[in-house]
Amino acid sequence: MTETARQNRLALILTGIAVVLMLLLCTMPLYFFDATVYTKRSANTFVGDEKYAEALAEVEAVAEDFRAQGMEAEIKETVTERTTSKGEKTSLVVFTLEQTISKNLFSFLGASFSSAHILRILLALILIGAVTALAGTLKSFGAMQRDVPERDRRLRTVMPYAALIATLLVPAFVMANNVVFSRRLSLYNGGQLTEGKEEFFASLGRFLLGTEENAEAALSGLSFTKSGLVWLLAPCCIIVLIAGLMLRYGQIKHTLLKMLLILFVVAVCIITLYPYYVMLITAFRTNQETTDMYFLHMLPTEWKWQNLTDIIRRGVPRYLLNSVMVAGGATAISMLCGIPAAYAMARMDFKGKKAFLGFVIMSQMFSPVVLLIGIAQLMSTLHLNDSVVGLMLINAAFNQAFAIWLLRGTFVAISPEMEQAAMIDGCGTMGALTKVLLPVSAPGIVTALIFVFINAWNEYTISTVLISTASNRPITVGITQFSSFNMIEWQYLFAASLLATVPVVILFMAIEKHLTAGLTSGGVKG
Amino acid sequence: MNGIRTKHKWTPYVWLLPSIVLIAVFVVFPILIVFRLSFSEISKAGVVGGFVGLDNYKEAVNLPAFKTVMINTLWWVLSVVGISTVLGFIIAMALNQKFRGRKIARSVLVLPWATSLVIQASVWNYIIKYEYGSLNNVLLNTGVITQAVNWRSSFQIEFIWECTVGIFVTIPFVTFCVLAGLQSIDNELYEAAIVDGAGFWQKLRLITLPLVKPALTVSTVLNIIYVFNSFPIIYTMTKGAPANKTDTMITYLYMLSFYDRRKGPATALSVIGFLILCVCAGLYMRFVMRGEESA
Repeated sequence: MTETARQNRLALILTGIAVVLMLLLCTMPLYFFDATVYTKRSANTFVGDEKYAEALAEVEAVAEDFRAQGMEAEIKETVTERTTSKGEKTSLVVFTLEQTISKNLFSFLGASFSSAHILRILLALILIGAVTALAGTLKSFGAMQRDVPERDRRLRTVMPYAALIATLLVPAFVMANNVVFSRRLSLYNGGQLTEGKEEFFASLGRFLLGTEENAEAALSGLSFTKSGLVWLLAPCCIIVLIAGLMLRYGQIKHTLLKMLLILFVVAVCIITLYPYYVMLITAFRTNQETTDMYFLHMLPTEWKWQNLTDIIRRGVPRYLLNSVMVAGGATAISMLCGIPAAYAMARMDFKGKKAFLGFVIMSQMFSPVVLLIGIAQLMSTLHLNDSVVGLMLINAAFNQAFAIWLLRGTFVAISPEMEQAAMIDGCGTMGALTKVLLPVSAPGIVTALIFVFINAWNEYTISTVLISTASNRPITVGITQFSSFNMIEWQYLFAASLLATVPVVILFMAIEKHLTAGLTSGGVKG
Repeated sequence: MNGIRTKHKWTPYVWLLPSIVLIAVFVVFPILIVFRLSFSEISKAGVVGGFVGLDNYKEAVNLPAFKTVMINTLWWVLSVVGISTVLGFIIAMALNQKFRGRKIARSVLVLPWATSLVIQASVWNYIIKYEYGSLNNVLLNTGVITQAVNWRSSFQIEFIWECTVGIFVTIPFVTFCVLAGLQSIDNELYEAAIVDGAGFWQKLRLITLPLVKPALTVSTVLNIIYVFNSFPIIYTMTKGAPANKTDTMITYLYMLSFYDRRKGPATALSVIGFLILCVCAGLYMRFVMRGEESA
């Protein structure tokens, strides 16, 4: 038997195992409901006394009846003690008989839940995958991957994709039925379920009792225990996926590693994007929904665009304008001072070059925070505290180091010959810089420019200390007005955050590629 | 030297002048002010009195929270820098592989770097709320947990969350520094190693690590400085509460100076922090200067 045939056989066996495993899983109890079938209240009863034993015996008898019918029933008791107005102690014991109903996935398919469609798609995809895999393999069982006929190859491709989609649908499915059961039942028990009640109970009745008749009455007091057991479907899907990849590409180790790599990157991306997702959806929810314990939707139930107009009325445009001024001003100052310095560093020879380099690097070390007190003192001496201009200057100064770094790296990478030629033609140093070097090094300059802009835009600490007048606040400080000590207006906080984040994120993505190069040439390699 | 000639000896200094003035006034001058204040008597209203020697330092060291704050700072810097360096390195290794959608992944992973720390911290603050936080919500819906978990039941756990957010926002910087280093490695080295029969770990230990070491060192040292200086995460999430138990040096000196109006010990703490940074800066400079000489 050839190597390929052996692999194909392994893949088919794996697929078979996964499909059988999945069918087995579908017969296992995966959903757990608790229904209260009998309640006995025994007033003026203390735990352990005669009345208690009497009541307990009565409940036991009922429980036996249930057990005789083949149902699981569990006795639970709650004791409430209190002191009456006469000062006597009294106690109430409530016995409840709870029946646990557990159901498997096949009965779930039989009921008409909306999320059952997802399960049907899931199972169908796996089956299609398995069948096509079989069809695609049988004829060319022992052939090398590259010798497989085109039609079979296409058939073999169906399987990994089907399995991949099935794998991705598992979480959707688990979420969907947890939401349906727990949310609907808790709403129902709280008397708030209005729309779709009959429909829901009809399918619930078919699911749990096998009949639609009087489902609502029979199921009152029902609760759902969330369980992640349905996740057990996921490994089956993944096994099928691996088998599919094996059949299609032959080399299992390589494809598996690649798959793991992509899964890892996707997981990291999802974690990275998660806070942004939260920010985005919370920004457009109502105040009530942002603090709703039972809010179990992926998206706002109603997109509240009015949040945006609300924050506009509460000074956010002014803060954004201040931020633009601070960041823009800081960038301009930083470039005006930084470009000549970087140019001198890159092109000229002079004593003390190293000392200046050290000076610049040193200044990079000190974030303004540790010098906060000194800066506050300095700014009040210069009468620049509580002013946008002051913030510009501070931000420009503390970003000098990075600006010079990035710019010097860019300039060094460009050959000085063109400038030398220009100077022979009679240009001054200034002319050589502005007419020759700057246009050529535009990408590097834009990178440095945007980098400084973003740093200044995101700066928070200095602004929060220096700025006391509300109308001078940049946006990073401005958003904190929505989170006062005793009340946080999350929807406004995040709507404003969104406005503050989107522009810089777009800018940053634009320079991301150049930044890596800049770090190598300037910052990292020295 | 592949440079240009200047007419006068002093021309280069003229070109440097604006930059020097900017840094001198807004960086060096505050350093001097902080030093002077730390040796002076300062009233609650901020009036600066005469020279008091080391009194402010004694007061700072004897503050009840001093020890906790220092230990917190150490944990904060070590855990955030350490863990984010390891994770950032792994992510950079993954991003250095060729696969479809790599560009998109890079743009996504750079996001936390571009976002203001206050905003990140606010979002995480919301995510880990017990009553209605998004994390409980997601975990409940996916069936991972059956009951809402209180993610901030004690200040230790809150501090761990702050470190987690710190790690989260620090990873992109490490990733992109390491990625820059990785991309400059010649692929032929790996091919030669494969011919010689080297496995994954051998390639990692003998080729990758030594060659990205410069990038890794620079990102680590810079991160120590940035993380040490980090203020918004802790300030937004706990404000150091309860009783400075989650404060680091930076947030503590802010509170001390601008809330409690105890400028004396606050400036002393600033100087201590400044000296710690100087040591890091010295190490960094030695490293960069060496690179400069060999370049």
